[in-house]
Amino acid sequence: MIEFNNLKFMYSGGKKFALDGIDLTINDGEFIGVIGPSGAGKSTLTYAINGTVPHHYKGDFYGAVKVNGLDTVDNKPEKIAGEVGCVFQDIDAQMTATIVEDEILFGLENFGCPAEEIEERIDEALKALRIEKLRTRSIGTLSGGQKQKTAIAAMIALRPKILVLDEPTGELDPQSSREIFELLKELNKKYGMTIIVVEQKIMLQCEFADKLLVIDGGKAVHYDTVEKVLEHSEDLEKMGINCPRIVTLARMLHENGLYDGVYPAELDSAEKMVRSII
Amino acid sequence: MKGFLDYKDGNSIFHKMNPLSKLFLAVVLCAMCFVSSNIYFVAGVIVINLLIAFAAGIHKMALSILSGLLKLSIVLFIVQVLFVRSGNALFTIPGLNLPITDDGVYFSLLFVLRLLATALPLAVMLSVTQMSDLANVMVSKLKIPYKYAFAVITVIRFIPVFASEMAGIIESQTARGVEFDTKNIFRKIGLIIPLCVPLLISSVKKIDSSAIAAELRGFNRRTSKSGYKKYPFGGNDIFAVLICAVVITAGIMI
Ligand SMILES: Nc1ncnc2c1ncn2[C@@H]1O[C@H](COP(=O)(O)OP(=O)(O)O)[C@@H](O)[C@H]1O
Ligand SMILES: [Mg+2]
Repeated sequence: MIEFNNLKFMYSGGKKFALDGIDLTINDGEFIGVIGPSGAGKSTLTYAINGTVPHHYKGDFYGAVKVNGLDTVDNKPEKIAGEVGCVFQDIDAQMTATIVEDEILFGLENFGCPAEEIEERIDEALKALRIEKLRTRSIGTLSGGQKQKTAIAAMIALRPKILVLDEPTGELDPQSSREIFELLKELNKKYGMTIIVVEQKIMLQCEFADKLLVIDGGKAVHYDTVEKVLEHSEDLEKMGINCPRIVTLARMLHENGLYDGVYPAELDSAEKMVRSII
Repeated sequence: MKGFLDYKDGNSIFHKMNPLSKLFLAVVLCAMCFVSSNIYFVAGVIVINLLIAFAAGIHKMALSILSGLLKLSIVLFIVQVLFVRSGNALFTIPGLNLPITDDGVYFSLLFVLRLLATALPLAVMLSVTQMSDLANVMVSKLKIPYKYAFAVITVIRFIPVFASEMAGIIESQTARGVEFDTKNIFRKIGLIIPLCVPLLISSVKKIDSSAIAAELRGFNRRTSKSGYKKYPFGGNDIFAVLICAVVITAGIMI
């Protein structure tokens, strides 16, 4: 569980709060999609979860963040890392090794995973991401999607309860982007892992996330189930987030009093909506 | 530079050898070229290098290093030959009154052969060794602090990343009409230098986030005993010792 308690953070040298009064709770096992315009504070939010804000990125920090009961100010990021696995936006900077297998080994070795358990953990992580074949591949020769999966596998091997990803599909084609989200959903369902994913591709978010967290100007402007947040599609459009067409249609139908059901987040519920009005 | 130092996958005895044995073998091959002043011996070392490269399936790379050094070798040979005055004159260059001596030819040849013989071993060995294995074994067996090994790996890891970033910048500049394919080398350098600034900024950022990412994954807890992979010496390493023994004996005897 992650609890934000009126969190405010301004980077040293910054002029305004990058996070401006975040006050919400993320429960265990939830799949949270974080969206918002560029510069809204999404990455900063991920830093606040893993403790790099305020331990690495200095600045004015008010309020509190607790990750599974651990206060991120009182505990070192290294300690928090036992609870949260993070995949950063810059995937090349994330890597530490030259071979896939070694990338997964890195964290396991550092945190003192017993030798007899290591093989099992590597196999499990590779299998969860379906990259068993890449085990001995050189990381320099991997595609963007394969690198992303390797980075996630390296985190999974440490068995964190929470996984945070910052724009994991930023440089991927639609097919690979979808694959990543499918894998995340699987981790979420199979291991009950809490997933927090910053992602601009709202179609993917709507289809896979349980809840959407909309950040704008450092504030959490909406935080609710996907359907509920989509009711504010006008707000989202103003931020430059293009909602699925079907959501715009639902809004128009609502405005004209033709439909009063939930806003459809994916095709199945869209079909239901259409059936209900004809 | 592309392809240089890159690991070439394979299954040869040299791929399977302990990284330390390979390093030791490379050092012995280089050192013996200076211990012995016999040109036949040094030429023999070149042949041994090429045989190793052939056995490991990287002879193309080895031959391209040799051919790359050929021009330089010829120039060095000529310069050397003209400067050595000791020994018996073989003949005199007419007009310049410059004698070419037997010592001159011998030492110039030795010099060039040494250059070629010492350029090969490290390149050959590094091509059949995963960088991370070399680093791991240096940490576990030679007790080199992990931080240094990690720094070296990071630099090697970032070279292709920065190269592709640079290519990206050049591409976008070309799209804006800057002509990089100019023949004038000075003009080209003048065009590229300003682009190094954004590259530098992004590099600093990358290295910073790289340090944070490594720390989040327990980098600071690591000790020389953390390494999971063990690098025992085995049968393949006896072969390395054997080659070393032969080369050392030959070098001293001849
Ligand atoms: N390292 C930093 N130092 C100073 N200011 C920063 C830093 N990183 C981000 N910011 C600022 O904080 C705000 C939020 O940035 P960020 O969290 O990266 O947004 P997002 O990920 O939503 O695009 C922006 O105004 C940005 O300029
Ligand atoms: Mg960001």
